[in-house]
Amino acid sequence: MSKRAIKWLYQELPALVAKNILNQEAADRIKRYYGDVKSSSKIAVMLIIGGTLGALLIGLGIILLLAHNWEDLSRFTRTVLSIAPLVAGQGLVAWVLLKRPGSQAFTEGSATFLSLMVGASIALISQTYNIPGDTGTFILTWMLLIIPLTYIMNASLPAVIYLIGITAWSGTYWDDPAKAVLFWPLAAITTPHFIWALRREIYTLRSTMLSLVMVVCISFAASFSLGKTSPGSWVVIFPAIYATFYFLGWQKFNKITTNWQRPLRLIGAVGLFILAFQFTFRGSWQYLDRYAYGLKRNISGFGALPDHIITLAIITMVILLFYDNLKRKNWTIALFGAVPVLAILAYFLRESSIFLPVIIFNVYLLALSLSRIILGARNNSLASINSGMLMLAILIIARFFDSGINFILKGLVFIIVGIGFLVGNVILARRIGGAK
Amino acid sequence: MKNRLIVGLFLAVCLIQVVTPLSMIIKRENTLNNGQQFKFKTAPVDPYDAFRGRYVALRIENDYLPVADQKEFIKGQTVYALINVDDQGFAAFTAAVTQRPKGKPYIKAKVRYVSQGKVYLDLPIDRYYMEEKAAPAAERVYRQRSRRNKQDAYVIVKIKDGFAVIEGLYIAGQRIEDAVKQDIEK
Repeated sequence: MSKRAIKWLYQELPALVAKNILNQEAADRIKRYYGDVKSSSKIAVMLIIGGTLGALLIGLGIILLLAHNWEDLSRFTRTVLSIAPLVAGQGLVAWVLLKRPGSQAFTEGSATFLSLMVGASIALISQTYNIPGDTGTFILTWMLLIIPLTYIMNASLPAVIYLIGITAWSGTYWDDPAKAVLFWPLAAITTPHFIWALRREIYTLRSTMLSLVMVVCISFAASFSLGKTSPGSWVVIFPAIYATFYFLGWQKFNKITTNWQRPLRLIGAVGLFILAFQFTFRGSWQYLDRYAYGLKRNISGFGALPDHIITLAIITMVILLFYDNLKRKNWTIALFGAVPVLAILAYFLRESSIFLPVIIFNVYLLALSLSRIILGARNNSLASINSGMLMLAILIIARFFDSGINFILKGLVFIIVGIGFLVGNVILARRIGGAK
Repeated sequence: MKNRLIVGLFLAVCLIQVVTPLSMIIKRENTLNNGQQFKFKTAPVDPYDAFRGRYVALRIENDYLPVADQKEFIKGQTVYALINVDDQGFAAFTAAVTQRPKGKPYIKAKVRYVSQGKVYLDLPIDRYYMEEKAAPAAERVYRQRSRRNKQDAYVIVKIKDGFAVIEGLYIAGQRIEDAVKQDIEK
C-alpha cells in the first residue's frame, strides 16, 4: 500500500472507532501492522534537492573554468590549483561529518561537491602534463576515488555519479568486451548501499532515483559488454534484462510493491515491448548472426568466459522470476515478462525456419495487447485499455506496411483477425445482454 | 566509537584522493626534470574534451615500425619502441621489442594495429592542451605554414625509463603559444 493510502487510513481511524466500526484494539493493531508513516516534510526534500543541485552546478562550473586552460599559469600554480579544490571539498565533507552528520541535504551536497572536485583535480593534471587521451583510465581513476564516500557518508549522489561513470568507462571499451564486462563487478560495489537505502526508507526519493539510474546504466552497459562473444545472443540477453527489471518491479517485498520499483516496471515494460516489436520483423532474425556490433575480431575461449557467465546468470534469474510469477498465478505479469522465454524458443527455432520466430512474436504481441484491453475493460482501467490499443495499433500499422510479406497473405490475415474481433464483440454483447 | 571509525576511514580516503593526483604530478615532474630530451615531427589538429578542455591532437610522423614476425604482436599489447636521433636532430623509431630494453633510449607504447609486416604504435604523445581559443588557432597557424611546403612542426618530449612527458609544441622553431599570439595580433 502506498504511503498516501496509509496516511489516509490513519486519518480515518478515529472516526471509525467513534462510530463503533472498529474497536480501539483493532485500530491499534492496524497501526502496528503498517507502522509509522515518517513524513519527511516537503521543505526537507526541497533542501536536499536544492543543496545537491547547487553543489553539482558549482562543481561542474569549477571543472569548466579549469578546462579553459589558463596559459599564464605556471606549473607550480597549476599544481596548487589541482590540489586546493580537492582539499576544500574534503574539508567541507569533514565539517559535515563532524557538525551536521544527520542532515541529508548537507551530506549529499558536500559529497557531490567533493566527488566533482576529485575529477577536476585529475583533469587539471591531465591538462598540465598533456597526459595521453585515455578517457577510460581517467574516468575509472576518478570513480574509484569517490565510491568510498557513498559508504562513509551514506550519501547516494557519489553512487549515482559512480554508476554513470563506470557505464561511460565500459562504453570506452565497447569494442573490447573482455574489459567492458568488468562493469558488472564494478556496479556490484553499489549493491550494499542500494539495499541499505531500501531498508531504511522504502518509499523515498533516494531509492527511486537510485533504481532509475541503475536501470538506465545497466541498459547501456549491457549493450557495451554483453552478447558480443557469441553473435545473435543479444536477442535473448536484452529481453532477459528488461524482463528482470519488469518482474522486480512487481515483486512484493513485505507484501507491498513500492515507489522505487516504478522505474523498473516502466522501463522494463517499454523495453520489452520495443524488443518484442522489433522481433516481429523478419529482418531482425534474418541478419541475426551478421549483427555483432561492428566488432572486428572474434573473442573466444577464456576471454569470452565472463560474458557467458553473466549472460547465463541473467537468463537463469529471469527464468526463476518468470516461474515464480506463473506459480503465483500472476498471469498478466507473467505474460508481459514472457518475451525472454519466447526469445530463447525463437532463437533455436529460427534454424529450421525464419518464419517461426516472426509468427511467434506477432501472435504474442496480438495476445499481449488484447489481454491488456480486456483486462482494462474488466477493471475499468483506462490506462490499461489505452496502452493495449496503442500496442495493437503499432503492430497493425507495422504489418500493413511490412514489405516482407506478400499482399494476399497479409490481406487474408487482416480479414481473419478482423472477423475474430467482430465475433468476439458479438459474444461479448450477448453475454452482457444475457446478464441484464 | 563508530563515529571515530568513520572519521578514520574518511581520513584514509582523503589521503588516497590527494596522493593519487600528487603521484601523477611527481612522476611527470621527475621525467621533465631528469628525462632525456627528444624531438618528434608531428602534425597538430584541434579537438575538444569536455572535462579537460581544448587540446591539439598530435599525429607523430612515422609512428610505425617494420617487424620480422608479425604474429608476435597483437592489438593492445605493450611494446617498447627504440629511439634513434637522426642528423637533423629529430627522433625516429628503429625497432619494436616486447622486452624492456637496457641502455638504449626507448618509449613505452601500445600496439594500435598490425598490418603488412608493420606495427603501428599507439604513442603516449597524442594530445597537447592549449587555452580555449588558442587550440583552433594553433591548427590554423600550422596549416598556413605547411602550405608553403615547410612542414616543420615538432614536439619536444622528455623520456625517462620509457615514460614520456611532453614539454612543448613548436612550429618552425617557435613555441606554438608564441606563434599563435603573433597570428592573433596580426
